[in-house]
Amino acid sequence: MPTTNSESDLEPLAELPRLATTGHATHCKMCLAGLPAGQVDIDSSRLALVFYCLGSLDLLDIINNKTNNDERQMWVSWVWEQQTSGPYGSGFKPGPYMTPEKHLGVPDNDYSNDNSPHIIVTYTALLCLAILRDDFTRLDRSGLIKFLRSCQKDDGSFSTEPLGGDSDLRTVYCAFAISSMLDDWSGVNVDRAFGFIASCRSYEGGYGQSPFCEAQGGTTYCALASMHLANRSFLLIEHLSASERRNTIRWLIQNQDGSGGFCGRTGKDADACYCFWCGASLSILGVGELVNTSALARFVASCQFKFGGIAKAPGEHPDPFHTYLALAALSLHPPQQDVSAPSSWILQALDPLLNTKQDTAAWARQHIPAPGN
Amino acid sequence: MTSEPDAPLFADRPEWEDVVPLPQYENVDPLAPIFYTDEYKDATNYFRGIVKTGEMSPRVLELTENIIRQNPAHYSAWQYRYKTLMALKAPLDVELRLMDELAVRYLKTYQVWHHRRLLVTETREPGPELEFITKSLQEDMKNYHTWSYRQWLLAYFNDDALWSDELNFADQMLESDIRNNSAWHHRFFVVFQSGVRTGDENREEVVRRELAFVKNYISLAPNNASAWNYLRGILDHSATPYSQLLLFVTPYSVPRSPDADLVDVIDLENPPPSMGAQLPCVAAIEFLADIHENEGGDDIMKATELWRSLADEHDTIRKKSREYRIRDALQKVQV
Repeated sequence: MPTTNSESDLEPLAELPRLATTGHATHCKMCLAGLPAGQVDIDSSRLALVFYCLGSLDLLDIINNKTNNDERQMWVSWVWEQQTSGPYGSGFKPGPYMTPEKHLGVPDNDYSNDNSPHIIVTYTALLCLAILRDDFTRLDRSGLIKFLRSCQKDDGSFSTEPLGGDSDLRTVYCAFAISSMLDDWSGVNVDRAFGFIASCRSYEGGYGQSPFCEAQGGTTYCALASMHLANRSFLLIEHLSASERRNTIRWLIQNQDGSGGFCGRTGKDADACYCFWCGASLSILGVGELVNTSALARFVASCQFKFGGIAKAPGEHPDPFHTYLALAALSLHPPQQDVSAPSSWILQALDPLLNTKQDTAAWARQHIPAPGN
Repeated sequence: MTSEPDAPLFADRPEWEDVVPLPQYENVDPLAPIFYTDEYKDATNYFRGIVKTGEMSPRVLELTENIIRQNPAHYSAWQYRYKTLMALKAPLDVELRLMDELAVRYLKTYQVWHHRRLLVTETREPGPELEFITKSLQEDMKNYHTWSYRQWLLAYFNDDALWSDELNFADQMLESDIRNNSAWHHRFFVVFQSGVRTGDENREEVVRRELAFVKNYISLAPNNASAWNYLRGILDHSATPYSQLLLFVTPYSVPRSPDADLVDVIDLENPPPSMGAQLPCVAAIEFLADIHENEGGDDIMKATELWRSLADEHDTIRKKSREYRIRDALQKVQV
């Protein structure tokens, strides 16, 4: 018998259920309201989780229509409260987990170097504020540039914090996205960072997290998005050769498996987050149309949790990270409308390079650069 | 010094009386607040207190271990623990044994592995680490952090003794699961990406050896994407034309012929698909199409036929990308 995938574009889409948008919004709002003790591991990345919640609401077009202004202003002030500065510049910390109370209800902001900004969190904070349409007058731009500078290492990568922490392609992407939103690249040595990116390339066509590591969907997105963000500002010549580009596309396409979802590495099971990382990588390379969108939608449908939220795989528990990335994937690669896909599957358009809604990306690019820049 | 499950709160321990606990600040309208347990609140209150005074003493190690066991992602606790270990000149082998336990327990936490890197960078004794990694891979044979740590360790210390058994190790990992892409990747790293080791000076010979190796694995399990990617990797790396594999690939790209198993002269250079293997094999058809496209001319039509058969029959999920290849190839012909 020939090896044939059972899923196909030719099959009718009649069975595609609604995208449970209300349930997914409720899941995100519940997480914003509070998390159980069992999720204490979110403590040192709380603001990133806030981004996945707000980003989901943004893609579902709920932020401006179904939340009130007072609520949004409360969220804005919480995010700004995480801006912190010190000898290594300024950025955003993940939350108040290392901030003691000075007096009742007053934070002790001059606390210590162990409460420093975090580069991944800082990227998500800027997007949160753009989602909430903040005017960014409170942003310490020169401090932010200084922060990026103190995070970059000799090998071109960035550490998560000025005083240490791991460094890999994720942090390179965050540094590039921040520079791109600031429209100011003076905080990063782009050439050295490009050297680091190139050293992470694998024979399979994807990029590993660090030099010599296995090709992985998330870090491949980070590599491709970083190069294209820089290109957008500097109009560099093509950074991938024709054969490299072809290999990368081949590997990305190969990652869409029979379930309709994408796996992050060759031979692994599909996972909702890789639908975004691999799908967006294809969009960045200009071949987003190669994604099998109806199979993708069926996979995401199977990851929907019955009480709201999207899980990494069918039968797993949902979380804001997978909910947001699955929605972002659908936004880039919606199922075709000439068949019977319910209109709930059509979401707000996404900017694949900054990984946020297009309107939000436009707002960020308009308001984050220094005035008069 | 390990914290017991029923250990009393730090607030109830006389030996912590001199520390002023600092409760966490929380905005009156917090976003995504976590409803901490009393034990976590207690330990982190004392941790903020310690950080405030800058104390680095043995009891800080107990406190940070307690927090890490409650929240292994608490990177401030990890960082402060590392600083304290350095300040105390604490025996790092003891710390590494504790990490042996924590790494396996929190296999997917970045901080566990980062801390380990810092420790080994300090001890400069990478040798025992290989054995630890091998053991920890038994828990999860594809764990990304574990493999990355091994690749870092080898590249960072880069001494001959460390490398001496690495190809064997990759072999063993592949033997236990021939579809483990992490093991294939590791083999590529060891053979092609990390310098030339004694015995491997003849690079053409190395390429021949690797081609023979991967062909045998493809023969055992033809529908193994990892092995085909490895094959392509060798060819790209050594700039070997794909067409040199034509003889090997062809039998994999067609349905099994009824008398295939009757052939009694086996070409050792080109092992045939194992009996019972599902044929034709998508990766082989794709490979053959690449050969034809590269030949150009009339062969382009052969390539488009193969892509068409993938799109319509053998690999329909990737229909759009095969049709893209067809359009792309035909366009080049017309130009």
